[in-house]
Amino acid sequence: MIQLKHVSKVYDNNIVALENIDLEVKEGELVILKGVSGSGKSTILSLIAGVLKPTSGDVLVDKKHIAKLPDHFSSQYRRDNIGFIFQKYNLIPTLSVWENIMLPLVPLNLDEKELQEKLMHVMNMFTIVHKKEVLVKKLSGGEQQRTAIARANVNNPKIILADEPTANLDQKLSCEFIQILKKLKSLHKTIIVATHDPLFFDLDFVDKVIEMHNGKLQRQSVVCS
Amino acid sequence: MKKINLYLLEYALGYIVRYRAKNIFIGVVLTLLIAVLASFFFVQNSLQYELASTLDAQPQIIVTNQKAGRDTTVDEKMIEKLLTIKGVGDVTSRVWGYYEFKHMNAKFVIVGIDTFENQYNTTLADIANNGELNASSMLIGEGVQKILNKSYYRDYFNFMTPDLHVQKIYIAGVFKAATTLESNNMIVMSKDTARKIFGYTSSEATDLAVSVTNPDELSAILVKIQNLFPTFHVITRKDFKIALQNQFDKTSSIFLTLFIITLFTFFMIVYDKSSGLSSEEKKEIAILKAIGWKIEDVLKARLYEGLIISLVAYLSGIILALFFVYVLNAPVIKNIFIDYNDMTNDFVLPFVVDYETLFLLFLLSLPVYMFATVIPSWRVATLDADEVMR
Repeated sequence: MIQLKHVSKVYDNNIVALENIDLEVKEGELVILKGVSGSGKSTILSLIAGVLKPTSGDVLVDKKHIAKLPDHFSSQYRRDNIGFIFQKYNLIPTLSVWENIMLPLVPLNLDEKELQEKLMHVMNMFTIVHKKEVLVKKLSGGEQQRTAIARANVNNPKIILADEPTANLDQKLSCEFIQILKKLKSLHKTIIVATHDPLFFDLDFVDKVIEMHNGKLQRQSVVCS
Repeated sequence: MKKINLYLLEYALGYIVRYRAKNIFIGVVLTLLIAVLASFFFVQNSLQYELASTLDAQPQIIVTNQKAGRDTTVDEKMIEKLLTIKGVGDVTSRVWGYYEFKHMNAKFVIVGIDTFENQYNTTLADIANNGELNASSMLIGEGVQKILNKSYYRDYFNFMTPDLHVQKIYIAGVFKAATTLESNNMIVMSKDTARKIFGYTSSEATDLAVSVTNPDELSAILVKIQNLFPTFHVITRKDFKIALQNQFDKTSSIFLTLFIITLFTFFMIVYDKSSGLSSEEKKEIAILKAIGWKIEDVLKARLYEGLIISLVAYLSGIILALFFVYVLNAPVIKNIFIDYNDMTNDFVLPFVVDYETLFLLFLLSLPVYMFATVIPSWRVATLDADEVMR
């Protein structure tokens, strides 16, 4: 489903983020990208999401060249296929939970009933419905994360990308997130998590753990569940 | 047809509220600018309407005598000669002029009439028909009454003649004219009394009012008069209007040029302010792009914001201008157009608001403002979302 072929990424300041990466993720797989900060994990997620373009190589999702999509179609691709859970959640703090989760649906101009149904569905799924009117800036870390996850899932994407999802959470909340991942996996979502949190490395429902170092893939281990 | 995206509109409204400090500042400045521009147009329209009405009350042709290139008095004997020209319907001598009331820094227009004559405008015809004038009385306009009252001249006024004699004239009443500009500083009295005040002889007149039977022949008659009396200056009502319009256009263009410079300076400030989007605002655009908003969605939201702010500013500006011009009577701005005297400035502006003016104001304010706000956002929206979020 997702293929990275000989992908390199060099930023404008000549920092090499990725060097000749080859990676394949099959539909419904849960893949963990592990590595220290600056190893290139987040860059891989951004390339798959189409918010970054590689310096060389191809990024294919469902056999489509994502890197070659013009901005307009790249946004459309994200809207239809990707749910992105950012490291710092990237919520809009002055909007309520409800308004934040609704954001991906705003341009679609859905009818009121359909919109309500989608919102209620994800808010119930990620148990944040009781806080729907509260401004995001007034939420706890765990609640903010659940809001971010709900937002990433509101358009029912096939692919979930999570960048350091537990970096700002305590262990209890990190465990809660892992349960959410399990739930998403059961929904047959393709999930890639970039993390250096050891909690993820020995999970029985993870399909692949890939270690990264200095923009290169070091090791792939297949977890047999 | 695609229905309006109300969610996007709601988002835009929320954005305005969330960044209210900046938006209120821009909204208030834009409101004030539109109010000033609208006031200017309203005053101009009202004055043009008022002057056009006043000029419509003028004779079709005015004949003045000139000496050394300056207007001087005309002898009433000329009337008979003018009446011999074919096509001339009527000729009336006019005795009128300015009287400076230095004590109050005001200038009156004295108009002399003979009640048995045909009058060249309705106000004078009404006064003549009432027959309230005699050799020692006058009728005054409402503006004149105000000025005289301030100096305790409630029943009479002492005019000073050129040979320094005092001419005491009683106030017989106050007349109401067709236009406030006309009635504001006008005093009507008998021709003989007016002559005394101006120091004219009994056959002297200020000028001659000529009316023609067929308006289509106006230019032909004009040539005939000019040929018969080469030293006379012949002017038509149309010439008057053109001269006045030129004066208006000159004043308007100076003001408008200054205003447009101010307006564009404002838009440049807005542009600059929007270009310097805060990191929060830039991040918000990047987040929206990362979650699937297209550039056009971001721009649409900014367009809605611009539309809401500028529409509110436009409507508030128009309401403010209407209040300023038609309730407060446009202090300061009115003086830009009128440079007569204090009393003339005191007249009430008639309510004249046309769709063209409102549309012009709309075009000058809304699209330019929206353009100034959308471009900087477009620049941010075209950046890589990842780059902005990092």
